[in-house]
Amino acid sequence: MLSSPTFYSRRHFLRDCTYGLGKVAAAGLLTDSLAQAASSNPLSARGPHFAPKAKRVIHLFMAGAPSQLETFDPKPMLTKYEGRPIPPEIIGGQRYAFIRPDAAALGPRFKFAQHGESGAWISEVMPHIAQVADELCIVRSVKTDQFNHAPAQIFFQTGFGQPGRPCMGSWALYGLGSESQNLPAFVVMSTGSGLSGGTALMSSGFLPTIYNGVRFRNSGDPILNVSSPAGIDARAQRDTLDLVSQLNQKRLGAVGDPEIATRIASYEMAFRMQTSAPELTDLKSESKETLEMYGCDPDKPSYARACLLARRMIERGVRFVNIYHEGWDAHSNVEGNVRKNCGETDQASAALVKDLKQRGLLDDTLVVWGGEFGRTPMVETNPALGRALGRDHHPQAFTIWMAGGGVKGGQTIGATDELGFNVIEDPVHVHDVQATMLHLLGFDHERLIYHTQGRDYRLTDVHGNVVKKILA
Amino acid sequence: MFRYSAILAFALPASLSAAALDFQRDVRPILSNHCYHCHGPDEQGRKGKLRLDIREDALKAGKSGELAIVPGKVESSEVIRRIFNHDEDELMPPPEAKKPITDEQKNILKRWVAEGAEYTPHWAFVKPVAVAVPPGVHPVDYFIQKKLHESGLEPAPEADAYTLARRVSLDLIGLQPTPAQLNAFVKAYRANPQVAYESYVDQLLASPAYGERWARRWLDLARYADTNGYEKDRERSIWPYRDWVIKALNADMPFDEFSIEQLAGDMLPGATLDQRIATGFNRNTMLNEEGGIDPLEFRFHAMTDRVATTSATWLGLTMQCTQCHTHKFDPITHTEYYGMMAFLNNADEPDLDLPNAEADSQHEGNLKKAAALLKQLPAKWPNDKPNNNAETAFGQWLKTERARTVAWKTLKPLKAETNLLLLTVQPDGSLLGSGDITKSDTYDLTLAADDQTITAIRLEALPDDSLPGHGPGMCNYEGPKGDFFMGEFKVTVGGKPVKIATATESYSKNNFGKAAVNALLAVDGDPQTGWSCAGRYGERHEAVFVLAEPIPAGATVQVQMQFGRHYACPLGHFKLSATSDAQAVARDMDHDLVALLMKPSLAEPEKQKLWEYFLLNAPELAAESKRIRDLRAEPTYPITLVMRERPANHPRPTFRHHRGEFTQPKEEVPPVTLSVLHPFPQEAPKNRLGFARWLMSPENPLTPRVIVNRQWATLFGRGLVKTVDDFGYQGSAPSHPELLDWLAVEFIRQGWSMKKLHKLIVTSATYRQRVQPTVLSLQNDPENVLVSRFPRVRLEAEMIRDAMLKAAGLLNPKLGGPSVYPPQPDSVTEVAYGKFQWKASTGEDRYRRSLYTFSKRTAPFALYTTFDAPTGESCLVKRESSNSALQALTLMNDVIFTEGAQALGKILAGQTVEDAQRIKQLYLRVLSRLPDADELQLTLAFIDQQRARLKSGELKAAEITGISEKESTEAAAWTLVARALFNLDEFITKG
Repeated sequence: MLSSPTFYSRRHFLRDCTYGLGKVAAAGLLTDSLAQAASSNPLSARGPHFAPKAKRVIHLFMAGAPSQLETFDPKPMLTKYEGRPIPPEIIGGQRYAFIRPDAAALGPRFKFAQHGESGAWISEVMPHIAQVADELCIVRSVKTDQFNHAPAQIFFQTGFGQPGRPCMGSWALYGLGSESQNLPAFVVMSTGSGLSGGTALMSSGFLPTIYNGVRFRNSGDPILNVSSPAGIDARAQRDTLDLVSQLNQKRLGAVGDPEIATRIASYEMAFRMQTSAPELTDLKSESKETLEMYGCDPDKPSYARACLLARRMIERGVRFVNIYHEGWDAHSNVEGNVRKNCGETDQASAALVKDLKQRGLLDDTLVVWGGEFGRTPMVETNPALGRALGRDHHPQAFTIWMAGGGVKGGQTIGATDELGFNVIEDPVHVHDVQATMLHLLGFDHERLIYHTQGRDYRLTDVHGNVVKKILA
Repeated sequence: MFRYSAILAFALPASLSAAALDFQRDVRPILSNHCYHCHGPDEQGRKGKLRLDIREDALKAGKSGELAIVPGKVESSEVIRRIFNHDEDELMPPPEAKKPITDEQKNILKRWVAEGAEYTPHWAFVKPVAVAVPPGVHPVDYFIQKKLHESGLEPAPEADAYTLARRVSLDLIGLQPTPAQLNAFVKAYRANPQVAYESYVDQLLASPAYGERWARRWLDLARYADTNGYEKDRERSIWPYRDWVIKALNADMPFDEFSIEQLAGDMLPGATLDQRIATGFNRNTMLNEEGGIDPLEFRFHAMTDRVATTSATWLGLTMQCTQCHTHKFDPITHTEYYGMMAFLNNADEPDLDLPNAEADSQHEGNLKKAAALLKQLPAKWPNDKPNNNAETAFGQWLKTERARTVAWKTLKPLKAETNLLLLTVQPDGSLLGSGDITKSDTYDLTLAADDQTITAIRLEALPDDSLPGHGPGMCNYEGPKGDFFMGEFKVTVGGKPVKIATATESYSKNNFGKAAVNALLAVDGDPQTGWSCAGRYGERHEAVFVLAEPIPAGATVQVQMQFGRHYACPLGHFKLSATSDAQAVARDMDHDLVALLMKPSLAEPEKQKLWEYFLLNAPELAAESKRIRDLRAEPTYPITLVMRERPANHPRPTFRHHRGEFTQPKEEVPPVTLSVLHPFPQEAPKNRLGFARWLMSPENPLTPRVIVNRQWATLFGRGLVKTVDDFGYQGSAPSHPELLDWLAVEFIRQGWSMKKLHKLIVTSATYRQRVQPTVLSLQNDPENVLVSRFPRVRLEAEMIRDAMLKAAGLLNPKLGGPSVYPPQPDSVTEVAYGKFQWKASTGEDRYRRSLYTFSKRTAPFALYTTFDAPTGESCLVKRESSNSALQALTLMNDVIFTEGAQALGKILAGQTVEDAQRIKQLYLRVLSRLPDADELQLTLAFIDQQRARLKSGELKAAEITGISEKESTEAAAWTLVARALFNLDEFITKG
């Protein structure tokens, strides 16, 4: 919960209580209103359904959809089929964004090898992730309902293809409350050029707006308006807050509305954020080794910096962190696309897992890596659009990995057919991923519900099963 | 923040033994919450063939053969046996449903069965009746006080004049009074409270700001925004609809007309421009422009949004459930959902050009300038070569052009088939498209036989005002409006393909990608390459296809055209013609000029026309003629998005979609209204207008209640029905059913006048109560359900900013117009797709009322979302009222609040009265009241403290004020005080 305004004393209240209640009644009212302010604080913990394995989540969202065929799902048969169309009976009635269903197969652009004791197949373009292979639970059989970016991203985050429902971070906060007294509990970072799903990806939907994800920004203030305006130093800010607080307390005394007590607490938290946000983003205290491990330039926004910030956030009580890395939409030159994006993310993603582990945080922090869908085994070529050797959107099969809190690492789950088109073993729908993530956070996804618009809603809509194989 | 979630005091009588059971209040909520999911309206999900929401079904035997309910006989009623059962296999509700019922609830059901298991219809589905109110009593107070007295409470005394003035002003016009208005009111109020208050209310109702305030409420429902949503989230122009709402509310347009015009204004006899603009209501749906989407899929999503929005706005029902299956709780079937969609689903969605006198007069001026320049054109001819002056060159040109002019004869279409859209033959033999477009559109045309041999076929791509971007293409998303891409053009005779030898075009350009486009690429057999005319929309273009072998006279020609790329882009208006002259080439020349070229001799005015064309197209004069062409360009009018009902020969069928999925259409569903509501009149047309009229019929039990309840909720912070968005079985029962019904009946009786309704409510003593509770009212009415005091309610986001601008003397009261861009940090739109830049308006547009702020769906204005404003992605019936640290950061540090504090600081610093006087001014401006002695003291101490620091140089006045003049110390001190006051809870709260 937010810190209670303890500075607001009973004596003050009785003095300010000007509207003619008896003193005894007024004292009771004070106690009640402060208690109500606390109990009605939506950020106080609601409590999980059972003991959680993960207390925090860092979701590395590879927006644009990475090619599973160049990273985690080796398909040598595709090389054999290269240049030939995939049989129509495999394609079925699938609709595509850009290509025609009779497009030819395209072989994998990178070499694969097995890594770690678990022997996980990982392509040469992810050498750092290969080093932490034994921490990962690689799921090669994820399926989604949506084949366009914005709907699919929103679907992954909210369980529904249209904007308007709460995202996972909001659900987690709704269920677990906030542990942080001076930072937002649900933080969103983005490292690229803009998100297809927009703010719907971090929205609390129909849940109270207090559960919205708070963006940490790449330019200007890390949290919007966290710096005082020009010319106002810390003391002037404190003086102002003191005056505001005194006047608000007088008002509380005059009208007895507990909402004012909450307002006073909100201002105190805001004031603490003004110190804690710059402290958080100041990477001076990080060792050279750490910075090098992440490949992070402390002064430049990057995916690596976001990963390091994420670790610092969860150390400071932040509950849920989303990092979006945009740019995986390889309609042309899938090889170059994957090489570039892995160059920007591979080292830092692996460093985050290592760093969490060496600090003892991985045991109760869930790390999830993945995009909104996969990419076609078929090539995308379109001279009119100037495209060649790309891959189109593929909702039928893609790969994500999970690591940390409650996840059984060192295993690969699920399989696709020899052309990588359909899942043939252990299908994991996006709703199953969501159910599993909530499970790790201590929630029965069927019981974490919110009643609105005439019915109960949940993250997994009316679907979803916990994927037992993922669990440790 | 939600404050309380306890069960309402009135929901269950404390002692059931004393009070009679009320089915609606006591029984149905239990059945609905715990039983209907499996034993309710949804046939698909029904278990044991048992239905409990209808009495006659509940009295029948279920699948087990047992009678579920035997009135008066508890021991024979299977329902009672099962709910009291201890065997987990027998127990109802089954444990796995995770919806156990309490012992108290079990006993209620038992008693209800024992007493005869009577059902009564759901209150909201029965037409409201007004009970009589004693004369001389304000009806609102009559009903409210009756309940208060029943609970041993008295209404709170009237608030003081300052508080009243601010409260009712914020409520009616969304702005607080100026100190002058405030003082005038307080003075008048002291003389005669009743008269002063009423005349103050009348002034507010007459203010144009009234329309702006209430428009913002309505725009939440209409999910208004200035962008399309989804990934690209590009700008759209629909602000004329927003202005229509403001205008209609200011004119107090009767709410039934207001509704009918928005749902079906285009279908009203002799529909006016305004009535067509009003149909923007259901054009506020989102449009997905992401590359490669299926446009029909997202049109379907827009349709489901329209059903949900229409239902939430007017019926207070949650129809979303029935998109996928029959409602689990309310008596609405899956089919009825699509039946309602069918009413709304028969319209096309064009852009509407709006007349604009400014654009017209500018165009007129431009044409005059162009005419003058045209006269000078011959003199600009480069006369360095004496044998090639303009005259001789014209003669030469005329000769050449005449020689290559061929006679074209229109090929009249006998049949025009397509995969989906409608092609209508126009009187001139051209074809005009309307309806839905897809990523792969094919036209199959059969053309009337010609009496001449055909050596070449000409395809003209023609503009039309009914098309997006005026055509010639029909692209309306992702690509530019009016774009087309013809991948293939095939000619066959008698089923045999006719080879095309060459092709030329008057113009070609590719909108997307670097690859070439031209007419020849449309006959190469590859649909990925073809002809397109990007950049010159709203103009005529042509392609000429010369045949390898002539088609003999009298043969029936068939033409197939294929369109599309990663977005839908067929031709919307085109004409085919034929010639028997093999010389034919495409040219960029209007028909009347071509006709002149065919004439053996020319009259002087005719010659003049060709002369002008020649000059304008001569390469020698390219620079000059470009200027003329630019000046002649058609004026661009503001557009707005509207509905246009489809022609009778091209209705759009509506299907039931299994599980609500776009890809699973089942049987076709005709238009049908909800059977639980009043009947659809037999003689009325089953179309959108018929539906709108049915909706606004005085027989409708829901709409007037839903509307008055929403007004009440806006004014009192909660509705008489708390679930403002749900009047179904799962909704809460009204706290004051008689008042709700009285208001609903009165609303209709007063001609659906919103202003009269607002006046009625705000003039009640109930509305004028103080906010301070008594101990008794806190005890007996903790949630203020009984309205034993006036509720404190946090201001809506836009009102907070507007009130600040007004207090700071910055507010620009200009009404209407395109949306504006007040300042906010660049990082707000950092996350938006496609490097969207927020370019802050300068000058007066910086300080317009907040409802004019450009509303970008995927990156909404940060200040507003922080204070719970919607994104416009879906209909929002009730806003949250949260209380967060981010709000504190916004009020303390946001750029616009900083500018406001600076502006107000400057005003106060400029006054020459003593500090205490200035502080009083400040309180009047910001809080609409005077400070008490304590507050004055605290504020004085603060300013002294800050002044000292400013004078000592610890604080930099110039930085704080943003001005570097000498007297800025004072301005800085007052800026700091103003800033503090803007941060008070009281400032952002209606008290």
